[in-house]
Amino acid sequence: MTDAVELTIPVASDLVVLARLTAATVASRAGFDIDQIEDLRLAVDELCVSLIRGSAGGRLTLTFVGDDDQMEVSCVLVPGPGDETAVVDDGDGADELSTQILEALVDEHGRGRQDGHERAWLRKRRTLQQA
Amino acid sequence: MVPAPTSRACTEETTSVDETFAIATDRAGAAAVITVHGEIDIATAPQLREHLAAAVAGGGPVVVDLLGVSFLDSTALGALIGGLRASREADIPLQLVVAEPRILKVFEITGLDTVFTVVPTLADAVA
Repeated sequence: MTDAVELTIPVASDLVVLARLTAATVASRAGFDIDQIEDLRLAVDELCVSLIRGSAGGRLTLTFVGDDDQMEVSCVLVPGPGDETAVVDDGDGADELSTQILEALVDEHGRGRQDGHERAWLRKRRTLQQA
Repeated sequence: MVPAPTSRACTEETTSVDETFAIATDRAGAAAVITVHGEIDIATAPQLREHLAAAVAGGGPVVVDLLGVSFLDSTALGALIGGLRASREADIPLQLVVAEPRILKVFEITGLDTVFTVVPTLADAVA
């Protein structure tokens, strides 16, 4: 079974929980075990956070595709009219921590541009538990 | 060992769609014990940052009780790192209480389990 779910949320820190909930639901339906679901919840949070740290507004569009083998998540930041993105460095190294967390929890991840907008993505393969 | 908290200095609660986030700072002798429940993310980490700053400014040892935390991300770790830096500058000990394997895993994969003093129970926290 393949699920493809799209979620669009305004850039607001208290709405990132919706991305986590969606990630967990799609991963569960795709047959990921509880540990992998928790990994995905955190990894998707880090995708969102890595984009909205430098954003003053706009919206995030997330696409979740889960099947028997893997889950792919893409997150695109579309700034609102007049919104500018800026590099935010609060000195606590959170960006580096985001990267470390993604490296540990997913098989592949990256950043790029899609239709002129900032995009972050990840891919995690489903591993079967030992019988 | 930190005595049982005796007075509640500051309490905040935030409700999200997932679960209630709550944070409170209690005094336990000379120590400030910050107790956190729920999920610490980009929405709630600023409250942790504020409680840490106030606790360090208080001048006594600081204990952050994360036993009731079900989720934390890089912004939560950033807030804790900020608190640790401030505590070191003030020459104040700061300890974390963590027992949940999923939460410990986040510290381990970022290497922060060797940076923070992490103890499994509040009773283990040493002033």
